[in-house]
Amino acid sequence: MNDITRRGFLGLAGAAGVAVGVGACAGTGSSPSAGAGDSGAAVGPIEFWSNHPGTSKEVEQKIITAFEAANPGLKVKLVDAGKNYEEVAQKFNAALAGGQLPDVVVASDVTWFNFALNKQFAPLDDLLSSAGVKIDDYVNALYNDYKFNGSHFALPYARSTPLFYYNKPMWQAAGLEDRGPKDWNEFKDWTAKLQAVVGSGKVVFEMADGSNYLDWYFQNMAWSFGGAYSKEWTPTFSDPKTVEAGKFLQDLAAAKTVKFNKAPEADFGAGLAACILQSTGSLGGIAKAAKFEVGTAFLPGDNDCPTGGAGVAVPAGISDTRKKNAVKFIEFLTNPENTITFTQATGYMPVRKSAVDLPAEKDFLAKNPNAKTAIEQLPHTRSQDYARVFVPGGGARIGKALDQIVQGQDVTTVFKALDAETQQVIDAQIKPKL
Amino acid sequence: MSAQVVGPTFDEAPQRTGRRRSPHNVEASTHHRGRGWTVAGYVGMVLVVLVVAVPLFWIAITSFKERQDIYVRPAQWWPSPATGGNYHDVTTRIPFYDYFRNSFIITAVTSATKIVLGVLSAYALALLRFPGRKVVFLVVIAALMVPNQITVISNYALVAQLGWRNTYQGIIIPLAGVAFGTFLMRNQFLSLPGEIIEAARLDGAGPMKLLWRVVLPMSWPTLVAFSLITVVNEWNEYLWPFLMSDDERTAPLPVGLTLLQNNDGVTNWGPVMAGTVLAMLPVLVLFLFLQRQMIKGLTAGAVKS
Repeated sequence: MNDITRRGFLGLAGAAGVAVGVGACAGTGSSPSAGAGDSGAAVGPIEFWSNHPGTSKEVEQKIITAFEAANPGLKVKLVDAGKNYEEVAQKFNAALAGGQLPDVVVASDVTWFNFALNKQFAPLDDLLSSAGVKIDDYVNALYNDYKFNGSHFALPYARSTPLFYYNKPMWQAAGLEDRGPKDWNEFKDWTAKLQAVVGSGKVVFEMADGSNYLDWYFQNMAWSFGGAYSKEWTPTFSDPKTVEAGKFLQDLAAAKTVKFNKAPEADFGAGLAACILQSTGSLGGIAKAAKFEVGTAFLPGDNDCPTGGAGVAVPAGISDTRKKNAVKFIEFLTNPENTITFTQATGYMPVRKSAVDLPAEKDFLAKNPNAKTAIEQLPHTRSQDYARVFVPGGGARIGKALDQIVQGQDVTTVFKALDAETQQVIDAQIKPKL
Repeated sequence: MSAQVVGPTFDEAPQRTGRRRSPHNVEASTHHRGRGWTVAGYVGMVLVVLVVAVPLFWIAITSFKERQDIYVRPAQWWPSPATGGNYHDVTTRIPFYDYFRNSFIITAVTSATKIVLGVLSAYALALLRFPGRKVVFLVVIAALMVPNQITVISNYALVAQLGWRNTYQGIIIPLAGVAFGTFLMRNQFLSLPGEIIEAARLDGAGPMKLLWRVVLPMSWPTLVAFSLITVVNEWNEYLWPFLMSDDERTAPLPVGLTLLQNNDGVTNWGPVMAGTVLAMLPVLVLFLFLQRQMIKGLTAGAVKS
C-alpha cells in the first residue's frame, strides 16, 4: 500500500518535472528550410502580418475583401502582429526560428534591412517583373528606399515624412508670415517673437525625445547644416557640419526654446506648443484634437526631408507559389486606388505617382490642404543615412547620443564616440556579410 | 566645569521623575510623544496612498473624459462633461468581449494547472521520501533561473511544429510550468512543525488525506498569496500570447488593447484607459475576495499552535 502510493507520488513529481521542462527549456525548432517544405502541399491563405499602421485594421480588411473578390481562389488572413514595427519584427524573428512563416509582412524603415542582409526577405525584382507590376509608377524615393545590392526587398506601403506643424493663431499673434521657416537660422530669428506670445507654461517648439525617434527628425537638421549621419558605410557624426547641427540643437535646448517630450503631438494639439516636427501620420489625430487652426509646412532646409514609415515584404523561406501569390497581393495593396483608400484613412502618403491624378484624391486634397503639404514635399525628400536605418540598433544609438547632447554634454565628444561605436558595429555585423 | 556638574543633574532628573510618576504619567507621555508620530504616520500613509492611488484615479477619470479634455493645462481633475463614449468605443472598435473571454480561459486554465502542479510537486518534494528528490528539486530550481525571454524562441519552434499556433493549448501549455510555485510551496511545507505531520501519519492519514486535511489548511495564506500572484501574472501576460496568437480567436486582453493605440500617430487615450479599467476589474474583485481568505487563513494558522 505504502509502496503504491509512493510510486504514485513519484509519478506526480515526475509529471511536475515534465511540466517544468516544457515551460522552461523545450526543444529547438526545425531547420529554417521547414517553412519551405510545403511547396508541394495545397497553398493556404496568404498570411499578412501587420501592425495596422495608423489604426488601419478596418481599411486593411476592406482592401483584403476587395482582393478576394478580384482573385477568386485566393484568401488572405490578416494577422495582428504587434503594436508597433519593432513587435512585428520580433514576431517575425520568432517565426524564422520556428517555421510557419507568413506570406507578407510589414517592415519599417529601420527593421527591413537586417532581414534583407540575412537573406530572410526575398528580393522582389524578378517576382515583380514576371507579375507585370508597373514599377515606374511607384514614387522613386519611396521605392528606392528598399534597395540593397541592386535588389529591392519591399514595396512602399505606409510611408510618411516629418512635417512642420504650427499653430496659426500664435503665428498671427507673433506677426509672422503664414508659412514655415525657410531654414533653421530663420527659425531661430523667429523664436524671440514667438516666445513673447506663447504665454507661461507653454513652449515655442517641441520635438520627440531620443527614445521616440528624435534621431529621425534630427536627420533633417543635420542635413540642412550640410552634415549627415553617414556617407554609405562611413559614419560622419564628427564631421564639423554635423557637429554644428548638434550645437544648434543644444543651443535651442539651453535657451529653453525647445522641449523634448514623448508625444509632442499631444501638447501641440492641446495648444501647449507653438510648433512641432512630427510625422505626417499624425495629421488626422492632430486635426481632431486641436481646437485651433493648424498649419503645416515643409521641413526647414532645402531638399532635406527624410522619408520614413513602412513597406511590405515577402519572406525568402516560402515556396515559389506562395511568393507569387504574395506579390500579387502586395501589388494590389499598393495599387493607385488602394493606396488612396489607405492613405486617406490614415494620413500616410500615396506611394503611386498616378494616385494623385485620380479624382478621389484630387477631391480629398482640395478639402484637406494640410495633406497636400506632405505630397508636395515628396519630391524634396531624401533617403535616410545608413547609420540610422541599416546599422543594427542605429536609431536607438543616435537617439541616446542626442539625449546626451540636449542635456548639455559636449557635442564633439559625444559625436566622436558615436562615430567609433557605429564603425565598430558596421565592421562586426555588416562588413562580413556584404 | 559647570557643564560637568549641570549635565548629570539634568540627565538624571527626567529619569527619576519618570520612574516615580510612571503609574500616572506613562500614558500621557506616550500619548504626547505618540501624537507627533501619529501625525507623521498619517502623513506617510497619505503619501503612499497618493503614490499608489493618483495614477489609478487618473486612469479612471481619463476613461470618462472627452478627447479634447485629456491633454489640457491646468489638468482637469474631474471629467466635465463626463462621457461614457470611451467605454462604448472599447466594446465596439475592437472585439473586446472575445479578448475578455480568451483572457478568462487562458488565466483560469493556466492558473489552475500551475496551482495544482505547484502544490502536488512541492508536497512530494517536501514531505515524501523517494530517491532522487534532491535532483528533481535542483532541476526545478534551475528552471526558475532561466528567464522566459530566453526560452521563447525554442518554445515557439516546438509549438509551431506541433501546429499549435493561434490555439489555446499553444498559449497555455508552455506557460503552465511552475518552478516558482514548487519552490515557494515546498519551503512553506518544510516550515510546518514535523510533530503535527508525524501525529497525522500515526493516526493513519494517507498522503492525500495528509495533504488535504493537515498540510494545506495550515498553508492557506501562502497558497492564497501564490494563487493571487499566479492569477495576476497570467492575466497580464503579454509576450508569449502575443507571439502565439494571430487574432481575436485566441489573443488575450493585454494584446487586444494595443489595437486601440495608434502606432504612428496620435493615440486617443480615452478608450485605452476605459479598456484598462475594464481589464483591471476582474483582478480587483478577485483580490478583494481572496484577501478575506488570506486573513481567515492567518487566524486558522494561529489557532493550531
